[in-house]
Amino acid sequence: MNRIIKKLLSNTTSLIGLLLLLFFVVIAIFAPYIAPPLFDDPYQIVRMTWDIEPRPPGFPMADEMRVVFESLGKQVDRDKALFGTAQGGYDIFYGLIWGTRTAFRVGIITVVFSMLIGVISGSIAAYFGGWIDELLMRITDIFLSIPFLVAAMVLTTILGRGLDKVMVALIAFGWMGYARVIRGSILSTKQEIYIMAARALGVKDFRIILLHLLPNTIFPVLVQASMNIGSMVVTAAALSFLGVGAPLGYADWGQMVSFARNWIIGSPGNAGKYWYAVFFPGIFIVLFVLSWNLVGDTLRDILDPRLRGEL
Amino acid sequence: MNNRLISVKNLVKYFPIRKGVFRTIAGWVKAVDDISFDIYEGETLGLVGESGCGKSTAALTMFRLEEPTSGEIIYQGENIARISKKKMRDYRKDLQMIFQDPYSSLNPRMKIKNIIAEGLVVHNLLDNKKRMKKVGEVLERVGISANSMDRFPHEFSGGQRQRIGIARALALDPKIIICDEAVSALDVSIRSQIINLFKELQKEFNLTYLFIAHDLSVIKFVSDRVAVMYLGKMVEIAPTKKFFQKTMHPYAQALVSAVPVPNPDYKRHRILLPGDVPSPVDPPKGCHFHPRCPKVMEICSKAEPEFIEIEEGHFVACHLY
Amino acid sequence: MVERKQKILEIKDLKTHFFTENGIAKAVDGVDFDIFQGETLGLVGESGCGKSVTAFSVVRLLDYPGKVVGGEVIFKGDDLLQKSEDQMRKIRGKEIGMIFQEPMTSLNPVLTIGFQISEVLKIHYKMGNQEARTKVIELLKQVGIPIPEQRFDEYPHQLSGGMRQRAMIAMALACNPSLLIADEPTTALDVTIQAQILELMKNLLKQFNSSLIMITHDLGVIAEIADRIAVMYAGKIVEHSDTRTIFFNPLHPYTFGLLTSIPRLDLEMEKLESIPGMVPDCLCFPTGCKFHPRCVFATEICQREEPELTGVEDGHLVRCWYVDKVREESKKIGFSRRLSLVE
Repeated sequence: MNRIIKKLLSNTTSLIGLLLLLFFVVIAIFAPYIAPPLFDDPYQIVRMTWDIEPRPPGFPMADEMRVVFESLGKQVDRDKALFGTAQGGYDIFYGLIWGTRTAFRVGIITVVFSMLIGVISGSIAAYFGGWIDELLMRITDIFLSIPFLVAAMVLTTILGRGLDKVMVALIAFGWMGYARVIRGSILSTKQEIYIMAARALGVKDFRIILLHLLPNTIFPVLVQASMNIGSMVVTAAALSFLGVGAPLGYADWGQMVSFARNWIIGSPGNAGKYWYAVFFPGIFIVLFVLSWNLVGDTLRDILDPRLRGEL
Repeated sequence: MNNRLISVKNLVKYFPIRKGVFRTIAGWVKAVDDISFDIYEGETLGLVGESGCGKSTAALTMFRLEEPTSGEIIYQGENIARISKKKMRDYRKDLQMIFQDPYSSLNPRMKIKNIIAEGLVVHNLLDNKKRMKKVGEVLERVGISANSMDRFPHEFSGGQRQRIGIARALALDPKIIICDEAVSALDVSIRSQIINLFKELQKEFNLTYLFIAHDLSVIKFVSDRVAVMYLGKMVEIAPTKKFFQKTMHPYAQALVSAVPVPNPDYKRHRILLPGDVPSPVDPPKGCHFHPRCPKVMEICSKAEPEFIEIEEGHFVACHLY
Repeated sequence: MVERKQKILEIKDLKTHFFTENGIAKAVDGVDFDIFQGETLGLVGESGCGKSVTAFSVVRLLDYPGKVVGGEVIFKGDDLLQKSEDQMRKIRGKEIGMIFQEPMTSLNPVLTIGFQISEVLKIHYKMGNQEARTKVIELLKQVGIPIPEQRFDEYPHQLSGGMRQRAMIAMALACNPSLLIADEPTTALDVTIQAQILELMKNLLKQFNSSLIMITHDLGVIAEIADRIAVMYAGKIVEHSDTRTIFFNPLHPYTFGLLTSIPRLDLEMEKLESIPGMVPDCLCFPTGCKFHPRCVFATEICQREEPELTGVEDGHLVRCWYVDKVREESKKIGFSRRLSLVE
């Protein structure tokens, strides 16, 4: 364990990854202090004005908004839109800060559940083999043959709008990779003699999978999972951008980007006029994905026993 | 002689070869092809043969780690070839195995104490405290300090890992242990330590061994009786002394003559066999050894020789006798 | 001794170290020996003693982080360690042939046997296709591969282990090298196949008048093929002599221990002796004589100072402080008597 930490800290790229990740974790935890909510539902993005057009960074809260919040009994401490406002006067800064929580939630929940489904089906397929393997892997193939984004979109459209629906869709079409990976590594680990030794001791199948196979095969899956957290967030953002994600006004990075959709090209003669509407949400997403990828890379270097030369 | 501990009768193990889209069975690998032998209590039966002769498969099948295609395995009056998997699990603590590769036979992510206690846990023997005491005892017995039970396999050398593998088998107080090439992968100076350990443990715990090896010098040293397999068949079984004084089967003779002896002055007639071992998918008709046999006769390609007792305890499958 | 022929290879104080994350591993730490024309030298030792590294250092085929850090390897008058990589390439395969342990992995699975062997001839002799083919088929015949015309176009997986090793030998001999290096060439083979290959190698060596460095851990194999033997332990040669002397009059406690700890077909034995402890890790060798923690004769001087490899009798070199004690013990056991009784 100490060795893992030492390794993480000794490498520049992994250090950058870890610091970035830490940065996001801090934002998520301290969101109520960084950007105090003004609605009862903290995920409802604070609006600085009723204007449709985005406003540049530093834009102060419009008086009519202040009146609204004060009538709700809220104290307005933060009255400047630090990163400007998005379409509809939504405060970009607020949306990004609270969106960090959403990003973690979407990323971790989808990855954990799809990993569970993948690992269970993959390890059962690999361990028992025969027709069970055949059946499970054909199902996997069918799921894999459907384009991910399209499938997720169709499913979300059927289920209805909402972040939880997006997560269901992402899980339903995101587990196959894990099943493949774990199946492959269990198939090779199954040949190891300690598996035969465990059987010779009279160990039950379930215990063999849980105690002997998974601890020796789970690491490539964990590495893949940590990298996937980033890409899941991107996909969720893409779904939001396409209009099937979070409900209007919900703090979600995808939503922030989708707010910018109509303003990306700027105004005639001033292409960069609304740069902040795209730039800030974009940079958050990029850095978030990057941090998970760097961490995943490091995990792979550390956990791969072949690279370590220990086994 | 002592009591029969385990009897193998007409044991057969074929592996299917599947081909094509529909995975239809295109043929069979006849790994073990109708072999019979007994193992007596307290003895060491040495099983030799070259790679692919089916000796390891025979052992795995005998313990139901591979399902036998047909045949009987009589242990404690019961045919364990035909009992349910669940019932077989109860017998497993009597029947233990030690494997060749000390590097892949221990789970790299488990501590030594958990590796050794595993059998006790799954058979629900002893409470946790007594288990750890037992683990300590068997570790000390095989020559590893009980203090190192919290360490992981990679912290040990090959010889030490093999000792740990022995301790794992020993923890269950087994009746019979199959040593599948258990000393083959070890260095010369370590090998003799482990061989001596096997012998000591046998005396101390009245163990019975099925000792599988390809090295006849080791077999000669450890075994009370020697069994030779060729291409899925048993070709000769005899008490060790008799076997080396009067080797009968032409294959066994060639095998004995091919063993390198660490003595530059050791002169003998070396029988060089032509060609390679044929594939067990399509073994030669009649006696499996006839295409390579220096004493081949006409009958050999037609009829399969029976495995008969020539002298007391000396069985051979050859038309010469 | 027989009249000495031309010296083919002379190794002086060869040192090969591995620069690993955990420190410097002195895999080969000052090895000297020479080989004469037509002679077979057996390099014996347990895993990690540096026998293979020595061989790979000679042909300069060491992988990172291994590096030859000192010594000379004089092959036919030139120091191989001073040669450029280009010059080395011309020597490998042509002047020095190599045979490896694993015949499955040392042949490329996607190329035919014939192609791989003729490649050597094409590189070193600039032979044409047809000429190379004829030569290769002749070679395959020489190493005892039946129907060589057909085997020429087959892939490695179509051949059995023994046949693959024969093909490897054919490849090593293709350019009629004056030195062959064989790294455990029969270890992966079955005994009856091993007997075939050893017989073949002995015949071919005579025929080609090549020298051979035979690396193995199997004392039985070495007794059969070697003219002289160097026993290695922990990166150094501890005993070096002709084969009969090593087997009948071992004077290093390690050689002595090895010989008494192997079960053997030619003797009735009650108990095996064994060398206590284990082979030391080459990252942290003991001080003094590297064998002292496992040696029954060891005293205080052995811990402190490492003995030199010194001549005891004619051509018998031993690295030990207590040669006389070992000789006495060896007499007590009666190596020579016990061994000659067998015949």
